[in-house]
Order: sequence, then C-alpha cells, then structure tokens
Amino acid sequence: MTAPLLEARGLVKHFPVRRGLFGRVSGQVRAVDEIDFTLAKGETLALVGESGCGKSTTGRLVLRLIEPTAGEVRFEGQAVFDLSDGQVRALRRKMQIVFQDPYASLNPRMTVGEILSEPLALHDLAPAAERPARVERLLREVGLAPDHARRYPHEFSGGQRQRIGIARALAVEPALIVCDEPVSALDVSIQAQVLNLLKALQGRFGLAYVFIAHDLAVVRHVADRVAVMYLGKIVEQAPTKALFAAPRHPYTRALLSAIPVPSPKARRNRVILEGDVPSPIDPPPGCRFHTRCAYAVPRCKTEAPALVERAGHAVACHRADELPAESPVPRAERGPGAERLARLQAAFSQGRE
Amino acid sequence: MTALLEVEDLRTSFKVESGRFQAVDGIDLRLEAGRTLGVVGESGCGKSVTALSIMGLVASPPGEVAAAKIRFEGRDLLALSADAMRDLRGDRLAMIFQEPMTSLNPAFTVGDQIAEAIQRHRGLDRAAAWARAVEMLRRVHIPAAEARAHDYPHKLSGGMRQRVMIAMALALDPKLLIADEPTTALDVTVQAQILDLLRRLRAESGMAILIITHDLGVIAELADDVTVMYAGKVVERAPVEALFEAPQHPYTIGLLGSIPRLEREQARLDAIEGVVPNPLSPPAGCRFHPRCPFAEARCREAEPGLGPVGPSHFAACWRTPLP
Ligand SMILES: Nc1ncnc2c1ncn2[C@@H]1O[C@H](COP(=O)(O)OP(=O)(O)OP(=O)(O)O)[C@@H](O)[C@H]1O
Ligand SMILES: Nc1ncnc2c1ncn2[C@@H]1O[C@H](COP(=O)(O)OP(=O)(O)O)[C@@H](O)[C@H]1O
Ligand code: SF4
Ligand code: SF4
Ligand SMILES: [Mg+2]
Ligand SMILES: [Mg+2]
Repeated sequence: MTAPLLEARGLVKHFPVRRGLFGRVSGQVRAVDEIDFTLAKGETLALVGESGCGKSTTGRLVLRLIEPTAGEVRFEGQAVFDLSDGQVRALRRKMQIVFQDPYASLNPRMTVGEILSEPLALHDLAPAAERPARVERLLREVGLAPDHARRYPHEFSGGQRQRIGIARALAVEPALIVCDEPVSALDVSIQAQVLNLLKALQGRFGLAYVFIAHDLAVVRHVADRVAVMYLGKIVEQAPTKALFAAPRHPYTRALLSAIPVPSPKARRNRVILEGDVPSPIDPPPGCRFHTRCAYAVPRCKTEAPALVERAGHAVACHRADELPAESPVPRAERGPGAERLARLQAAFSQGRE
Repeated sequence: MTALLEVEDLRTSFKVESGRFQAVDGIDLRLEAGRTLGVVGESGCGKSVTALSIMGLVASPPGEVAAAKIRFEGRDLLALSADAMRDLRGDRLAMIFQEPMTSLNPAFTVGDQIAEAIQRHRGLDRAAAWARAVEMLRRVHIPAAEARAHDYPHKLSGGMRQRVMIAMALALDPKLLIADEPTTALDVTVQAQILDLLRRLRAESGMAILIITHDLGVIAELADDVTVMYAGKVVERAPVEALFEAPQHPYTIGLLGSIPRLEREQARLDAIEGVVPNPLSPPAGCRFHPRCPFAEARCREAEPGLGPVGPSHFAACWRTPLP
C-alpha cells in the first residue's frame, strides 16, 4: 500500500481559557482531543458534526495555521509541525483552504484578477507577463468569465464569491484543499452548483479534499470516507457507503435523523437531539455524548468508549451492537412519479430535454 | 369560508439610483386559519419583501407597496393607520427573522424584552408579564428558563436565540406567524429542533404559519400548501403532496433536483445553472427561460400566466403539463 497523502496521529489542540486579557489560565477548551485519520491522494474525507465539535480547528491544524498541543500531522511523509517557516511556505503550495464565508476571506480592495495573481507571484509560479492568461484559465475553470478579473468581490453573488475562493485555492495547483463548510451559507440551488464544481475539479486535477460540513446529505454526495466528530473526538469513521448503509453511533444516527427529507410522505418519527453541544471546557465524563444520548446506560457516564474498528468501520460506543436495526436513512422513493421526476431533473444536467 | 390572510396582486417596488424595480410583481397568497403555507424560491426572488409588505414593514421611500387586497382576519391592512398596524404586529400577527439578533435588543435581558412586549399589548403588571415571559421560554424548551430569562442575547447560542425570538413572537398568541428563513443559519440538528417546536406550538395554539425558505426539505416538513416564487412572481402553487409528487414548473423541478439526497448516491446533482436575474432588467417572456432546459421560442417572447394543471394546482409555464 502506498503511503497516504495526509496522516494525523494523536492530534490534540487545547486553547487556554484566561480570565481577562492577561489573566491566569483558568481552564482549557478541548477543541480537538486525540484524533487520528488518513487521506489518500485524490480522495475526500468529510469531517462532520455540530457547531463547536472541533472541525475547523482540525482543518487549521492540518494546514499548520495553528500549532498543536500534541500529536503529529504528516503530509507526503513530512512531519508538518517540524517544518521551518520557509518549508511551511512551500507546504502552502500543496495545501490550500476554502472558507464558509467567501466574502470575509476575499480582500475587498483587490480586483478578482489581483486576488488570483497574488498566489502566483508569492510562490513564483508564473512570471508577471503570463499571469493574466493564468488568471483567465482559472476563472474559466471555476465557471466564471475572463472579464470578471476586473471586478471587485462585492460585485459578485455568494455563489460566485465561493467560486473565486476556489479559484484562488486552485491557483497554486495544490494536492489537497481543506474545504471548511464551503456550501453551508449558500442557497440549495447554488450549493448544488458549487458541489458539482468541486467534484469536477477533483476529477480533473486529482485533488484530495478534507471536506468540513454539518449536513450528512451533502457529505454523502462528496465524500469517500466520513469521520463524525463530537466534542473534539471522532466517534465514528467509515467509508461513505458503509456509513450510510449502517450508521452505528447514536450521534451519527441523530445527525442523519435531523436532515429534512424533501418528501411530505416521509415526514418521519425522528429522534430529535435535544439541547446544545456541552461546553468543551468541561466535557462530560465517560462518553462525551451521554448527556444527549437516547441509549445511555450508567456505564456511559463513567467509562469513555474506545474507537473500535471492524472491517474499516470504526465506532466509539459501548452499545454500538445493541442499537435497533432500523436505519434513520429513509428509503429512496420508487414508482412512476419518481421516474418522471428523475427524467425531468436530468434535463438540467444535460442542458436540454 | 373567508381566509385568515388574503393577498391579491401584491406589487412592491424599490427606487434605486438607476430607476425603480419591481421586487414583487403581482402575487396572490391565501392562507386559512390554522394552516401552514410555504413560500419557496432562491435568494432574491422576493420572499422577504412579500413578508415585509404584509407586515407593513417596507420603508417608504425607497419602497412602495401596492396591492388590490391585503386582508387579515377580514381587515384591510392597506387602510390601517401606522398606529393600528403597530398594535396588530406582535399581537395577532407576528414575525420571526433569519437572523434573530436583528430583532433582539442586545441591551436588555431576554426576559425583559418578552415581558415588555406583553405589558405593552396586554396591560399586565410587571410581575405578571415577567411570569408569562418565563412561561413562554419554558414552552420553547429553554432549559432553566427562570435563570435564562436574566441572560443577555449575546450569551445565547444561535439556536437558543431563535427560540427566544419564537417565544417573543408567540407571547401574545398570534393567529398568524410569519417565519422568514427561521432555520437557514442553523446546524441541521438545531433546525430539526426548531421545526419540531413550530409543529408542536402550531398544534397547541392553532395558529397559522407562513414559512419562507429556499429549502424544499423544510417545506416538506412543515407546509400544507406551497407557493413557489421566481423573480418576483408566483410560478407554481399546489397542495404539498401534489407539489412533491407531480411538480409541474421546471423551476420547481430544478429546485428539487438541487437537493443532495440522503437516501441515494448521485454522481452529480441536477443543478439549475446560472442565477436569479437582476430585477432591474428581468428577461423578456418567461423570466426563467435563460436557465430553463425546456425553453422554446415562445418562452422568450411571451410571458405565461398562472393556469390550472390539476386540483388546486397551478403553474405558469407554456409547456405544462410536462410529461
Ligand atoms: N482560538 C481559539 N481560542 C479559544 N477557543 C477556540 C479557539 N478556536 C476555537 N475554539 C473553540 O474550540 C471549539 C471547537 O471549535 P471549531 O471552530 O473547531 O468548531 P467547528 O466544529 O468548526 O464548529 P462550527 O461548525 O461552528 O464551525 C469551540 O468550542 C470553539 O469555541
Ligand atoms: N430595502 C430594499 N431596497 C432595495 N432593494 C431591496 C430592498 N429589499 C429587498 N430588495 C431587493 O428586492 C429583491 C427581492 O428581495 P428579497 O425579498 O429580500 O428576496 P428573498 O427574500 O427572496 O431572498 C432583491 O433583488 C433585493 O435586492
Ligand atoms: S457510549 Fe453510551 S452514551 Fe455514548 S453513544 Fe454509546 S450508548 Fe450513547
Ligand atoms: S415557459 Fe418556457 S422557459 Fe418558462 S418555465 Fe416553461 S418551458 Fe421553461
Ligand atoms: Mg467551523
Ligand atoms: Mg429573504
């Protein structure tokens, strides 16, 4: 087996909590707490979980935008946290990030052309004379027009700005892009366009993605493998097919159950996950999910379940084998209505009937 | 039977530097007591402007609201004075927004804000209003409601704030709740909590809901009837089952195809290409024609009207019924 493109081992990030600006450290935010994962070239690993589960922190660690508390990340075999500043700059050529809020991440005073030329200059990828042609190609690549290069970010819609953010990431021809909720702020229709774009680019350039999301329906569509995070821990990790065929962690099931199904017939008797994610400053003892888990037993309050792998499907739950067989993933609809709809919808992909 | 809310030929326009444009261009809505109407469409289609027009919240200038009829509980809202409209809002007619912080005052505790509204509309004394506020926070499932009532909005999570908004909106037992993208900024788990809460409160109080969203998944969860808007117009209207089983307008079909489905793998989503047109220069003919794979020559020339395609089912498309 070839070495993975990316490998994280025992990754930990704790943020100190201080009283006041220079006050004493009074606790730790345990944003990421010992997680492991790997990612092969051209593959997509999704990190899924509710707000505050540590997904973005993991993404920032991978890129070494922040320093870890413990653990290791290897990219193409190199230990990322041991690199010198110069080596980190070289690393940024190979690893890029796309953010949820494209507006906040684009300099409002630069034209799109300038935004896309900047990484080319920074990494010496193209002499000044060649940059306009490269910018033009990048714009076409992400479905924008060459004359968009002269405009400013505020002149674009949310979806177009996200395309600009993707073009900027692509400029350096990276091997890996961390996509941090790239479609969460977009309308369903624009979300679909951007997801299709990300998949097409992956096919064309052999990109690997760490895809951060809170919506498992989106994840099913883009990921090869899924890691479900809760309060800084990975609670379930599996190939996408296996996860959707038989989700085994109560938290994963709750996330699945929460997704609205676009069919009034399917209005489900869902398990509503009550309350918010507890504070990561003082996470619950034992299984961190026990305060919200419908299956919790006394043991869950004291004993943390280990992440146990069986045939590539890892789960951290004492009761994973005792959960009801019924899956929270609804069945696909069949029948003449569904067939007609599929046929008509396909016209949108083909651009004609 | 007279409807709780009747809107006929609503036209709302805005004046901007380069002229005046029609954000909402002649739409009709009808909602019976206790029912839930979903309004769906992409960002910029005129959904929020529709809601604000009904609520009398469109600033004029630059906005101008015109309609053949806006009737609520039989009263002509267009004829009401600003004072009478203010009395109605938050009382019989309430609204919640996508971003709760726009309607929560950061300088007051959430309990104070709810109690204040109750005092103003119902003339209860301070203690009774506070008790009612806490009771409302409990009804929207805020844990430790007594303690939470003393919190300022910034201390709460996004989901909690949206609950507080709902508690405030429902404190006076409105007959109609207008909810404009109430879950769009939230995690799926919190969205599920809020939708469940709205369903439960609806069952308890018998209020009607006008739910606005860009997500047909949310519509399927909550609505009895659906109105699909595109570029300021209604393009399809149907009972919820018919809309999802046999959608007729290509725009509705495209919106449904855009949703990544939990229950099946797809190599590619059937996305609608392009974006909603600039309302200053809407396309001639059918406004959807530049993005429509079913478009023909006549679609570029003449605008289709909303016509019947089934029982209580209407669509504005030259090609309907689509096979
Ligand atoms: N610089 C920081 N200092 C202190 N705490 C932080 C810092 N960055 C993140 N945290 C905390 O770490 C936890 C994990 O945050 P993170 O941003 O990784 O979550 P997330 O899963 O990406 O959530 P979201 O869906 O909201 O983006 C949160 O409790 C967050 O408040
Ligand atoms: N106060 C305003 N002034 C000028 N234009 C506005 C104003 N409010 C909304 N619009 C415009 O009206 C159109 C419809 O907007 P809106 O109802 O907010 O769309 P939706 O809620 O469907 O996303 C958009 O083009 C929007 O930019
Ligand atoms: S270990 Fe216990 S509390 Fe944790 S997920 Fe499993 S059943 Fe629930
Ligand atoms: S009228 Fe023509 S362009 Fe408009 S939706 Fe129907 S087929 Fe498409
Ligand atoms: Mg994040
Ligand atoms: Mg809106």
